[in-house]
Amino acid sequence: MSAEARALRSSRRAALPWRLLVLALGLAAALAAPHVFTGLAAQHLLVMVAINVILVVSLDILVGGAGLISLGHAAFMGVGAYTSALLVKGGWAFPAGLLAAALAAAAAGLVVGVPALRLKGHYFSVVTFIVGIIATILMTNLVDLTRGPMGLPGIPFVTLRLFGWEHTFRSIVFKTGFYYLALVFALLTLLVRWRLSRSRFGRSLAAIRGDENLAESVGIPTYRVKLTAFVVAAAFAGLAGSLYAHYTAFISPDSFTFVHSFDLFVMNLVGGAGTFLGPIVGPAFLTLLGNALRELSPALSHVIYGALLIGVIVVLPDGIVGGAKRALRALGQRGGGP
Amino acid sequence: METVVQLVLNALHSSSLYALVALGLTLVLGVLDIADFAQGALYMVGAYVAFFATSAFGLSFFLALPLAMVVASLLAVTNYVAVYRPLRRFSGATTFIAALGLLLILQNLALLAFGADFRLVRNPFPGVRISVLGATWTGYQAFLAGSMVALVALVYLFLRRTPLGKALRAVSQNRKGALVVGLDPFRVEVAAFALAGALAGAAGTLASAVNAFDPSIAAIVVIKAFAIVIFGGMGSVPGAIVGALIVGLAENLTGGLLSTQYAELTAFVLMIAVLLARPRGLFGAQEAKL
Repeated sequence: MSAEARALRSSRRAALPWRLLVLALGLAAALAAPHVFTGLAAQHLLVMVAINVILVVSLDILVGGAGLISLGHAAFMGVGAYTSALLVKGGWAFPAGLLAAALAAAAAGLVVGVPALRLKGHYFSVVTFIVGIIATILMTNLVDLTRGPMGLPGIPFVTLRLFGWEHTFRSIVFKTGFYYLALVFALLTLLVRWRLSRSRFGRSLAAIRGDENLAESVGIPTYRVKLTAFVVAAAFAGLAGSLYAHYTAFISPDSFTFVHSFDLFVMNLVGGAGTFLGPIVGPAFLTLLGNALRELSPALSHVIYGALLIGVIVVLPDGIVGGAKRALRALGQRGGGP
Repeated sequence: METVVQLVLNALHSSSLYALVALGLTLVLGVLDIADFAQGALYMVGAYVAFFATSAFGLSFFLALPLAMVVASLLAVTNYVAVYRPLRRFSGATTFIAALGLLLILQNLALLAFGADFRLVRNPFPGVRISVLGATWTGYQAFLAGSMVALVALVYLFLRRTPLGKALRAVSQNRKGALVVGLDPFRVEVAAFALAGALAGAAGTLASAVNAFDPSIAAIVVIKAFAIVIFGGMGSVPGAIVGALIVGLAENLTGGLLSTQYAELTAFVLMIAVLLARPRGLFGAQEAKL
């Protein structure tokens, strides 16, 4: 083993307790949050953070994992939301509706990914962006299915049945239970993302991000790998859509527009694409900030969002988490400590 | 026969507007490889300049048109100097995101300043009708199509005949080569943005007398125009024009024969079809650049 590799390994070993500590503290904070913030409005924000974490973590499989900037993620969320809402309204059990939502979104991801991934770089981004618009037009115009712009009211709450035990999450008036449900799925998504990034598949994605032609030349089937990532990310977006639909009990095309896709991407970028904590920090930070700004003025909130985005690209291209890591490292070097 | 002529005449109206915006997008895409969605905001600014110049200041529509072109052009150059130029060392995707950020900022600033009311500029040719092969063309529709042809011809002459226009083409064909022979990239890039801004501003003004608009028009227009650019072939000037003509016609046919609801999907369906069959677009010379 070279000295360099040994140094890397020992630094990793030294970093491990720190990581575990951050993880344990984060988990404790997530578990305690609904008991600290007991107001309905605050708990609503907690649920939205959890749902947005699912969306952004899955988006980061593409953005941070493969360098694929997809700007139509909310469309897949919408596909999942409508699928699950319609099926459960039609009598399906929630778990089946949730599964169907993920599958339907994955299928939509396949349909979009096949043509869109033929393009590279920002042309891919432009096409995913346009696909998001098409999805909204379809949701608005397929009135027989979606009731169009009037939206779909009366979506059943989540009901879980387990060995005779039954619980309905009446999430309009009581949000703590639903928050924990969403948290479980957010943690599941994080786990999948973490396992993926350490797998052969994740390394293929990283190779594509680094240099797609080089990746192709060493035998990575780049198109297939990218398509798989796209489909997996879409499936998780569909899952988040299902949770969202049964949480608010009402959905309309307005919830899944390109503006929301764009917001999700901003969350990913501001948090730090390709880092573990970034897709948690970004949604948490911007969901809260966005809410505060919207109370001031919706138009102004978009102006600040746009300015924040451009500012982050210029000043902090690796996001809050990336920037914090760099700052800590610089501090550590100066002080000579850990 | 009459209905076909009527459909074509009606289509020319939307085609002309698409062609102007798509041409501006193509110029910036060709020269700088930036998907400049902020041009939708320039279109919107053109429309608002026309509205306030004619209503609040009583200016003639024909003076408002060049005024709107100048304002939009200046704004385009400002966007370039303030945002795109500092970002030029980043990848294309980054500049695209920045462009979307700019679009979001400008559209919502307009919303704050002008509100969400729909506006319409007074028709400068009230009551004029022209009969073409049994179909009728309103005077304004004829003016719109004529303006598009004139502007496209001017851009064509500029690109072919003037030194700056030739420099623009050189940079878009081979950037390194153009730098080696001593072309000033800053001048060329400013020219591309100024020209694109003027075209978007003109399109916005021309549209403002027939289509009622509010700030959301910025996003709607540029998205469709970009679908046309992909359909026609990215960075190809004839592709943008022919693409706009085909999409305008197809849209009117869909609207007339199927339903108006799905007419707005036409451009996107054509875009997807082209991506599946021929990813470089109708007139694209090569596979999409990285």
